[in-house]
Amino acid sequence: MTTSEHSTRTSPRTGPAADGAAIRLSGLHKSFGSVRAVRGIDLTVAPGEVVAFLGPNGAGKSTTIDLLLGLTKPDSGTARLFGGVPDAAVSAGRVGAMLQSGALLPDLTVRELIRIFAALHRNPMPVGEAMLRAGIDDIAGQKTQNLSGGQAQRVRFALALVPDPDVVVLDEPTVAMDVEVRRQFWASMREFAAGGRTVLFATHYLQEADDYADRVVVIADGRIIADGTGASIKARVSGRTLSAVIPGASEQLLRAMDTVTDVEVVGGRYAVHCDDSDAVLRLLLARYPQIHDIEITQANLEQAFLQLTGSSSVDAPSTSAAKGA
Amino acid sequence: MTMTLNYAWMSALSTFRNAKFVIFTAALPVIMFLLFNGLYGDQTSSAGMSAGVYLMISMACYGAIGASLNAGARIALERQTGWNRQLRLTALSPQGYMIAKAVVSMLVALPALALVFLVGGVVGHVHLSVGSWLLTALVIWISIIPFAMLGLVIGFLGTPDSTQPISMLVYIGLSILGGLWVPLENFPAVMTTIAKVLPTYWVAENGRDAAAGVGVSATGVLVLVGWTILLGLVGMAAYRRSGRKA
Ligand SMILES: Nc1ncnc2c1ncn2[C@@H]1O[C@H](COP(=O)(O)OP(=O)(O)OP(=O)(O)O)[C@@H](O)[C@H]1O
Ligand SMILES: [Mg+2]
Repeated sequence: MTTSEHSTRTSPRTGPAADGAAIRLSGLHKSFGSVRAVRGIDLTVAPGEVVAFLGPNGAGKSTTIDLLLGLTKPDSGTARLFGGVPDAAVSAGRVGAMLQSGALLPDLTVRELIRIFAALHRNPMPVGEAMLRAGIDDIAGQKTQNLSGGQAQRVRFALALVPDPDVVVLDEPTVAMDVEVRRQFWASMREFAAGGRTVLFATHYLQEADDYADRVVVIADGRIIADGTGASIKARVSGRTLSAVIPGASEQLLRAMDTVTDVEVVGGRYAVHCDDSDAVLRLLLARYPQIHDIEITQANLEQAFLQLTGSSSVDAPSTSAAKGA
Repeated sequence: MTMTLNYAWMSALSTFRNAKFVIFTAALPVIMFLLFNGLYGDQTSSAGMSAGVYLMISMACYGAIGASLNAGARIALERQTGWNRQLRLTALSPQGYMIAKAVVSMLVALPALALVFLVGGVVGHVHLSVGSWLLTALVIWISIIPFAMLGLVIGFLGTPDSTQPISMLVYIGLSILGGLWVPLENFPAVMTTIAKVLPTYWVAENGRDAAAGVGVSATGVLVLVGWTILLGLVGMAAYRRSGRKA
């Protein structure tokens, strides 16, 4: 997807950053009617950091991104990019973004679309380079409405690169990409970030966050509930799901076992959610020798969030909790 | 400013390459001109102007106005697809966006205007000096500014589904009432009274004045400027409203 012939920045990508931070979010709140999408987010990202926003559907990732890009105004709190308001960073071409929603403008070819977008920036990356970096030079002549989902995603990635930005914000960038394209995408993202650029991306996958980010910020219910390296987040999410066909077992018996948090019956199989899968497996093998087709997976994100959020996940989005939060 | 104009120019160019757009805004007026011109082209209208010139001006206005309104519908599409959110992540300011869209509306009107005039000169019963030919085109082009504003209003208020019928209705309604299809002499006098407050009427009237070599009417200028200001303000308000929602 990318090769070494591209221009690489040698000068340090720093600017008039009054407080030295690339991104600084303070006390951000945003509600849509009765939905409190963002309820108090504080976050500082240093230049050059690669940060993942990890959170389930509706956690407030996209809303936070809109706030930090200046696409939405916060109810309270501030978003600063390089010490200034988002609009200033945007018009200076210091920010590139791949938004989650929104189609590409139809009736244009990919090259035309990127060219028009580039015409709206002061010092854009050459159109050819943006297309090469995003791996879309082979589809440059295609009409935007005929692209596959993964191709469209790569075109949006090219749009994020066009400003030749210092901060790149990517909202669930690999959605609709197949495994190979996903790998290429992350490789070119890493290459782009290597020049000292700051990257913030949203994802649903702990693995993706752990693999590609220096720092993982976990968001749930509009708040940051964990912030650290991928490894430290993973360690906190110890839960596993053991699934198997277990003749002779019953839901009740399984539930009674040590460290088991939940049991589901799915298509003749039991899915046993537990904290210590090693211990549970040993016990199961001893008790039910007929057990077969065993699979052990890491807890899915929803379970992980339940674990990380503890009781806060059952907080109803009511206004009564606003005071003193 | 160069950025805004460059953007407008590129947008207009990509519009010209859209076959559907060209057929509906340029081909249709040309065909209508050829049809009517074949029937009445060699007659002389009541004002002493050859019917060929009269028809050519009417159809050029009709095509230019249609193209201009159509450009507005594109705005609704950009809004619905979310493309305007992406545009907000550029150096283009909100005012720049409005200006660019108005400029695009003006630019895309040119092919229709030029094509009808060209056909008029080649096959029509139209005999004008090169100077008055160009002057007439220029006067018509400037006179359609209110329609560029109307396009913005429709684009910022409507959805892609609603803009198509709305702009079609407005387009055909204003064209008929303004006398672009059938000269107003053929209607009851009250129709002429109505026409005189409509921008469509004055676009064509200004064109006819220019072709005849007389100055455009002050009333006409006033009506067109009035519509421009009114629609410009509504467009601005609609833009702010749509911006907040986006
Ligand atoms: N424009 C809006 N109007 C009303 N509610 C909204 C709007 N945008 C977001 N919300 C609500 O705010 C909450 C947070 O949404 P957001 O899009 O930020 O979540 P997310 O973390 O990006 O989720 P996903 O992983 O599904 O993209 C959701 O409950 C959503 O329904
Ligand atoms: Mg989202």
